[in-house]
Amino acid sequence: MTRRPEVGALIGTLGVFVFFAIFGGAEFLSSAGAASWLNVAAELGIIAVPVGLLMIAGELDLSVGSVLAASSMTLAIVSGHWGGPMILGILLALTIGVATGLVNGLIVTRTNVPSFVVTLATLAALAGLTLGLSRVITGTTSVGLKPDPTSKALFGTLISGQFEVAILWWIAVAGCVAWMLQETRYGNWIFAVGGDKESARATGIPTNKVKIALYVGSGFGAALVGVIQTILYNGAQVANGQSFVFNSIIAVVIGGVLLTGGYGSVIGVILGTLTFAIVNQGIYYTGWNSDWASLILGILLLVAVLMNNTFRRLALSSGPRSQRKA
Amino acid sequence: MERKQIRRRLARRRLSSVTLPALALLASAGLALSACTSGATSNGGSSGTTGAAPSAPGASTAGGTISIFVIGGKSDDPFWSKVKRGVDDAAKVVQANGGKVTWLGPQNYDNLGPDAAKLILTAKSQGATAVIGADWVPDAQDEAFKSVSDSGVPVFLYNSGGADAAKTVGALTYTGSDELLAGKVGGQFFAQKGVKNVLCVNTLPGAVNTEARCEGISQGISVSGKSTQLPLPSSSFGNPTAITQAIKATLLKDSSIDGIVTISTQDADSASAAIEQADAASRVKLGTFDMDDTQLERIKAGTQLFCIDQQPYMQGYLAVSQAFAYNAYGLLLPQSPLLTGPAVINAGNVDQALAGAKAGVR
Amino acid sequence: MTVGAPLLRLTNVSKTYVGTNALLNISLDVEAGKVLCLLGDNGAGKSTLIKILSGVHAPTAGTIEVNGEPVRFSSPRDASAYGIATVHQFGGTFPLMSVGRSFFVGAEPTKRWGPLRRFDKKLASEIAIREMQSLGITGVTDGRRLVGSLSGGERQALAIARGVYFGASVLILDEPTAALGVKEATHVLRIIMQARQKGIAVVFVTHNVLHAISVGDHFAVLIRGEKADDFRKGERTREQVTDLMAGGEAMAALEAELAEMQAQAHHDTT
Repeated sequence: MTRRPEVGALIGTLGVFVFFAIFGGAEFLSSAGAASWLNVAAELGIIAVPVGLLMIAGELDLSVGSVLAASSMTLAIVSGHWGGPMILGILLALTIGVATGLVNGLIVTRTNVPSFVVTLATLAALAGLTLGLSRVITGTTSVGLKPDPTSKALFGTLISGQFEVAILWWIAVAGCVAWMLQETRYGNWIFAVGGDKESARATGIPTNKVKIALYVGSGFGAALVGVIQTILYNGAQVANGQSFVFNSIIAVVIGGVLLTGGYGSVIGVILGTLTFAIVNQGIYYTGWNSDWASLILGILLLVAVLMNNTFRRLALSSGPRSQRKA
Repeated sequence: MERKQIRRRLARRRLSSVTLPALALLASAGLALSACTSGATSNGGSSGTTGAAPSAPGASTAGGTISIFVIGGKSDDPFWSKVKRGVDDAAKVVQANGGKVTWLGPQNYDNLGPDAAKLILTAKSQGATAVIGADWVPDAQDEAFKSVSDSGVPVFLYNSGGADAAKTVGALTYTGSDELLAGKVGGQFFAQKGVKNVLCVNTLPGAVNTEARCEGISQGISVSGKSTQLPLPSSSFGNPTAITQAIKATLLKDSSIDGIVTISTQDADSASAAIEQADAASRVKLGTFDMDDTQLERIKAGTQLFCIDQQPYMQGYLAVSQAFAYNAYGLLLPQSPLLTGPAVINAGNVDQALAGAKAGVR
Repeated sequence: MTVGAPLLRLTNVSKTYVGTNALLNISLDVEAGKVLCLLGDNGAGKSTLIKILSGVHAPTAGTIEVNGEPVRFSSPRDASAYGIATVHQFGGTFPLMSVGRSFFVGAEPTKRWGPLRRFDKKLASEIAIREMQSLGITGVTDGRRLVGSLSGGERQALAIARGVYFGASVLILDEPTAALGVKEATHVLRIIMQARQKGIAVVFVTHNVLHAISVGDHFAVLIRGEKADDFRKGERTREQVTDLMAGGEAMAALEAELAEMQAQAHHDTT
């Protein structure tokens, strides 16, 4: 049991839930309260799951913040400002994510520049590009959009007035990725690439292709959230999305993924995302001054990492002596 | 140091929903200013002469000693394009009297203080009879303003600086708005509508101008109610869902809240969604600083109480009219600051505001 | 295939890095069912030779033949396609992966699952455990254990079992005993003998003469990139080999000095 990477994360999630259930009162436990953290978790999770996969493979992606902004502005400009069909705007928005992922992946695999630097560069460059093009095309930095009912239903409805349809997208994305990581050979490749790239390559795994595919995945996830937010809030803002850059990494790390790669699980990332969202939103149910929210988050991150390290050490020493002698 | 100040000035200049988060998040990457700079450069840096020159060359030779220089932001900046509309309209009077008005704007905002100082000196060297400028970066610009006023050419501050800065540089007046006052007016409007407990959602806690806005609200409502601030941490920046859910949670937790005010229009959109999700539309009234089409539509639809406009058109129009009247006839209004805002847009005047927005002046 | 040709033959292989000769005119024969020990001090060129054998680097000059046919490896994958498997000092495996997963990295067994193919982790674990047991490792019974929780010897065994299972005909072991205690090292030596019995050609790279002599059939000694000696089992004494590896004269001088000191000590006590 202690062998699983998500044990620490599960304890974390349960811990913060109980904490805020006690201090947040009935409102926190109500369906509106649950919607609060589930909605935030869903959007973050759609990005954190593929980012987590990438981190298991030993790479970072900081560009997700700008991808989100670029995708939402693309959708708003194409389908809002220019009045094009929604489906075209959505497809182009998602294409932006895929293309950015492709660029990230190619640069990281071709140049050996650390992915932290590469994706920091694309984060800045894409932010500038989005801002510049938005201003040139629309003369403004926020563009409205009137989504058609189908798109609204698919991406931007509130189920029973509370729960974002993004929750279903999150479940779908997490389900597919979890299956892929745990149950297919590609998952094994990802662990191997993150564990030891050279050994992985020596066994014939196309390590570069694996990484590029994972970058495309995280770009797609960020672009999907861009589409969801744009349709949900009927418009896009150039400066949106930047908070997802570090929030996604925090969620992944709380979820027990090793920052240096080779270890982690999708369930862990889901739990990490829930923990993050519960803390981030739970504070407003306590009635405490929200100035302290970041402090709690920082402490939580540290505790989570220490706990994950402990559980990983346990997993590495889990050859019972008696068994070894047998 | 200087950069920080520019940031503050720019933020004060135009507290748009975009500039705020961008400033907060991208400042270190040097992108802070590009949030205001990356527009097309077609008109930036050029000195376009507004007024008589091309259409009525005769007029300028007939009367024409008056030459007013206006130093503003990039004219393709949506805020500044409204200021420039006011300048252009006022310039018609100048032009009819044989004078001319010249608009000078920086190419970009990367080096705003020194660039603006250079533009001030350019205006002086081109024989300006009056110089209108925004005091964004006093450290860099004040000397230039002083050299103009010392040489006997009247200086008028507008948009940024305030009455005290006007005194310092020897300017005759300041035309613009005041964040604290804008907040007070908003607070009083809430009070007038019977709102008792206002939540001021601050997505940029700690910034001078946003704190002033919330403080103003608190002062304005203090007679009959109170206002508390909801400071949202940086982990929520640029994420409307996180902001929406935070506001919703606060509403659910505290059922005595019956008013919400936000510091930017995007936050107002989030607050609107939060009120809906908390099922609190019947008790909670929404107001915001700044204005855009969405706010106007909500006010018209009755789901938002008001938004506060600093009326940039009036800044350009009044500053030029004042400079012209002073140049031509020696007239000077006693008010300094001459306030162009706050204007509270509510159900009673939203139709005019909508018409104004359509015309590109608001 | 040329009958009677050695499994792997290097002829006059040299490797030059910018300015320096890492290897000069190395000729070696690697035969099936034999253990070739590559001996040498640190920096003698052992690692370079391993990299050439395992396809990481191509030689600057000389030829490599597999079963009598000249080959060129452009990648480790190429080399493994010719049946050459390399096991690195720490097992070259993935410490945070399970035994079953790491055993099959890059060659995962799959089974149909509806329209999809599923990685058969159960089968992978079973095979990994079975293969390790066939090399005498009985302490590992759960294929879900993390590789990092195995002992150094167990990790070597896992890596060797992997090479054997995937049909390696040449097994290159890079200092497999260097990081191990005496007991563990003995275990690995036993595994080497088992691999040899299976008809696999083993290239055992080490600087431990005792370990080499206990399992080796052929020996080659590298000194500063050149083959200093080449002999068969029993043709040299342990002292001769140690002497050669340490650079002959230097060792002789040291021995003379030691003898003198000993004589002195003996003289003092009597």
